Amino acid sequence: MNITINNENSMTAKTKSKKNLLEVKHLKTYYPVKGGFFRRTIGHVKAVDNVSFEIRKGETFGLVGESGCGKSTTGRTILRLLSPTEGQIIFDGNDITNLSGNKLREARKDFQMVFQDPYASLNPMQMVGDIIGEPIKNFYPGKQKKEIKEEVMDLIFRVGLPSDAYYKYAHEFSGGQRQRIGIARALALKPKLIVADEPVSALDVSVQSQVLNLLKELQDEFDLTYLFIAHDLSVVKHMSDRIGVMYLGNLIEVADKHSIYDEPLHPYTQALISAIPEPDPDRKKERIVLQGDVPSPSNPPSGCPFHTRCPMAKEACSEIKPKLKEVKPDHRVACILYD
Amino acid sequence: MEALTEKNTNQTPSKPPKNMSPWAIARRKFVRNKLAMTSSVFLLIVMIASFLAPYITTVDISRVNLGQMSLPPSSEHWLGTDKSGRDVFVRLLYGGRVSLLVGLACTFLIVVFGTIVGSIAGYFGGVVDSVLMRFTDFILNFPFLVFVIVLNAILFGHLSGVWVLIVVISVLGWGGVARLVRSKILSEKENEYILAAISIGCRPSKVIIKHLLPNVLSTIIVQATILFATMIVAESGLSYLGFGVPTEVPSWGNMLSTSRDPDVMQNMPWTWIPPAIVLTLTILSINFIGEGIKDALNPKSYR
Repeated sequence: MNITINNENSMTAKTKSKKNLLEVKHLKTYYPVKGGFFRRTIGHVKAVDNVSFEIRKGETFGLVGESGCGKSTTGRTILRLLSPTEGQIIFDGNDITNLSGNKLREARKDFQMVFQDPYASLNPMQMVGDIIGEPIKNFYPGKQKKEIKEEVMDLIFRVGLPSDAYYKYAHEFSGGQRQRIGIARALALKPKLIVADEPVSALDVSVQSQVLNLLKELQDEFDLTYLFIAHDLSVVKHMSDRIGVMYLGNLIEVADKHSIYDEPLHPYTQALISAIPEPDPDRKKERIVLQGDVPSPSNPPSGCPFHTRCPMAKEACSEIKPKLKEVKPDHRVACILYD
Repeated sequence: MEALTEKNTNQTPSKPPKNMSPWAIARRKFVRNKLAMTSSVFLLIVMIASFLAPYITTVDISRVNLGQMSLPPSSEHWLGTDKSGRDVFVRLLYGGRVSLLVGLACTFLIVVFGTIVGSIAGYFGGVVDSVLMRFTDFILNFPFLVFVIVLNAILFGHLSGVWVLIVVISVLGWGGVARLVRSKILSEKENEYILAAISIGCRPSKVIIKHLLPNVLSTIIVQATILFATMIVAESGLSYLGFGVPTEVPSWGNMLSTSRDPDVMQNMPWTWIPPAIVLTLTILSINFIGEGIKDALNPKSYR
């Protein structure tokens, strides 16, 4: 146990000095709302509204927030599976915001995704070997079949699938094994960044830890950087080096994991942390219960997006939209209380 | 650890007996469906007999033989002869050739064209979808019968007999398939494996052909069998009305159309009852096969 803690600490220290692999600047992704006779755009769902953060090489950046807050949209926009409305995505020094066609296709080699639903994310008509081998075929069309198969067998073994998986179909596997297939597919191109979009939320708790540990092992082995999206706070704590908290399309707090869990600054983060179940029944915790519901992202409240539910809201909160500011070293928060 | 890796990766995976593709499962279900299997056997016999007609019989089908007019069935002419003295059985075989050819060719052309239009419209969406679908609506709005008659007249002479009808029916018939495929693609492309395919660097053409179409193929196949039956009926109907294949070419529809003559209708039932029965049975069996395929491809049905 001691060893792992030391390991984690040294990792955090190591990553601090490293360069940024991904920079997201003022990213906005709006979904148009169409209506009327000619299907004109009559409004926008502001799924991601002015989000800026960076991910350092080799670290795991956790993105948390309740459902519908724009976590997945952020992840998908970064991978350019959705087109951003505004803002910039700089990956490994290159601006990938406006790439399209073949250039975008080429760029995809370096960033891959592990999907949320292990049932919907694998083509039911393909054999597992073909699923994992397809990215290699796409990017190295000259490669020999035998070579590809060897690589696929390596991957199948590496993610802990049985060796006869090659000729099987996805429906013959359990949820956890399917997620391993998805991980192997994402690894096939040896990417630099993997966006893991709630990779374990569809799995049994007993299987969750296996998949999480696999992801951690692979990170060391393949020198990966993760953007880890989740709504389960204990999972994020286990996985991440730094954490960003999202609320209604906005990033409201970014800090390393210890700061977030030990001294959360934003009232929303405080409420989230207080909601983590405490395994020790003798230790009583103060639970902050938020009132009301999340406002609609198509009609977000004025000022601070959280002021409608914030226990510490002031009058000014409904007028001024706070910006993400560094209030402590490496700890940024968007709240009027810390201005 | 390393030695273990080596050992395991060098082993070529032996093909285990039980890895059934979704297609293999469907095939097994289909084979167990008695009605569908009986229909398949019947259809196969009809097809083989029709397409091997020139090898089964050497009688010249177009020659008029005045000496053998309107003979009832006998050992020499199994199903008798018609008013021009032509053997009904031989004409039935050759008629099957034409009817089945029209059915198969129309189905093929309609399915291919409809699938191309539908999948492009469904996958790309937006303006592409609007343009293609408005064009499809435009085609669907044509009054079918009127246009078949007009186009038939225009194309006549440019193409040989039967192919005029095939082209005309196909040009007017692909709208329904295009719509069906589009709607299927629209729902299928919401699955995460399509996003995954884009993310691993598949070009749009590959996403459509390798990932989307195999997953909507079951619907297309079922639709194709229904179309096959419909097209045979369409051919017969048009030929009966005199707007189908040219009258000198035997087809089941043309053979039926002789019954417009009250004398034939009343006194020579052997000339029009056999094509009517074969036509009905063929269409029935095609529909049973379609039903069977639909059941077989439905993962929720167990038989």
